Amino acid sequence: MREGRGLFGHLLPYLYAAAFIVVVWQLVVTLTKPHVSLLPPPYLVAQGFYELVASGKLFVHAGVSLGRVFSAWFLSMLIAVPLGLAMGRSRLIERLADPLIELLRPISPLAWIPLAILWFGIGESGKIFIVFIGTFFPTLLATVAGVKGIEPHLIHAGQVFGCKSQFSLFRRIVLPAALPSIITGLRISFGTGWAAIIAAELVAARSGLGYLIANGMEILRADQVLVGMIAIGILGVAFDAGLRYVGRRLTWEGAA
Amino acid sequence: MSEPHNSSQPGKSITVNGVSKIYQSRGGGEVEACRRIDLEIEAGEFVAIVGPSGCGKSTLLYMMAGFSAPTSGRILCGGVPVSGPDIERSMVFQNYALFPWLNVRGNVEFGLENKGVPRDVRTEKVDRHLKLVGLSEFADKHISELSGGMKQRVAIARAFAVEPGVILMDEPFGALDALTRRFLQRELLRIWREQACTVAFVTHSVPESIFLADRIVVMSARPGELKSMIDVDLPHPRDSTSDGFRDLERRIYADLDEELAKTFSAEGLLG
Repeated sequence: MREGRGLFGHLLPYLYAAAFIVVVWQLVVTLTKPHVSLLPPPYLVAQGFYELVASGKLFVHAGVSLGRVFSAWFLSMLIAVPLGLAMGRSRLIERLADPLIELLRPISPLAWIPLAILWFGIGESGKIFIVFIGTFFPTLLATVAGVKGIEPHLIHAGQVFGCKSQFSLFRRIVLPAALPSIITGLRISFGTGWAAIIAAELVAARSGLGYLIANGMEILRADQVLVGMIAIGILGVAFDAGLRYVGRRLTWEGAA
Repeated sequence: MSEPHNSSQPGKSITVNGVSKIYQSRGGGEVEACRRIDLEIEAGEFVAIVGPSGCGKSTLLYMMAGFSAPTSGRILCGGVPVSGPDIERSMVFQNYALFPWLNVRGNVEFGLENKGVPRDVRTEKVDRHLKLVGLSEFADKHISELSGGMKQRVAIARAFAVEPGVILMDEPFGALDALTRRFLQRELLRIWREQACTVAFVTHSVPESIFLADRIVVMSARPGELKSMIDVDLPHPRDSTSDGFRDLERRIYADLDEELAKTFSAEGLLG
């Protein structure tokens, strides 16, 4: 079933959405005739897109943003997944950690931006920090939920069939059983991290897609702003799809 | 066709000695699941435990497995106190409890890996046990691709493959349709005879218990006590339409009906 649609079949809904947006956009431009620095027509933005691609600038900025997200996302995974596994299995650890997490979780990563600038300046570490905040909680919560959702009988079966130590139970039962949920959490947190890095770059950066947008605003180039937004959208969708694919490959749920 | 295999491991006995189990219910009250149960299961014996639902028969089985300790009394396996789950007492669960991230082979191999069995021996044992349950061709299948009956055959192969002293079975065929159930009961007997391990088999089906067991333990309504102990001396394969079978059925149902009446009157359904 899954294989049957082919690449084109997967792309079709996105092409439809893109076409829809372009049509509405062109309609708005034709009807309201806004100044080109406010809302340029699609073809001008396409031209700007091409120029930024041709000059390589778009790749540089996208690469910088992706690099920040990936490193912070990876870092948060290294902490959130083990902590989530421990919280899901031990009521004591959960009681200790949960109130802290519940208190910090509602604070949007964006609210941390001013502190991040004060603490780290506008260097890389501040951005890593922001994305870390944005990716940590979704990964953690999905891991905890994954562990808690493990059917008790699977734990029992693991014990009966020779997982004597907590470690072997973790390695052979808890981790594989919770993996689909963990991977989903990682995918979702990549999305939140991607949103957070753009916001952080809007405020304080000299590179990245967020900077490209902020810069476009400063020099009154709405086309540059729109090119940046389009790149953010395309990359977001592409990485989400990629992670979904990797997730299906890695976990047993996709085999159903 | 199946080579007669080892008589070196004749199974282990289970001794249940004055076992009671009281646990805290969610509401904060105490629930007495089992009361002063004494039961001796001999090495190599097939014992079925029947009783009304909620009588604590599964609680008893889980204590034998070592998942929870008795509130009082003790349980021995092969003369040694049970202190926790152990691979020498393997288990077949009602809802299969197969590992969905492993394929059929991986599931059967799981316990052998943990036992530290070398790879070539492992492969041989897995192959033999998959053949025993008739799933040789399905070794590489994913668990999600199997029917309920096939899943339980994998679970049976997994339980026997580690060559345990005891196999504990918790209503293993309860979720299967009648025909699959009938087929698996025969398969189980065949495999059990070949491996000669001890089996404790919890069920709420009286005919199933008579068809399978050497001895049937009838438990009372909660708190579960030993109500009666019935030896089944019928020759295998047992015919459920024979007089001997019918007589046993009548006896066990008579015992159970008494208990059911208690349960229902406790629930206010009868005068």
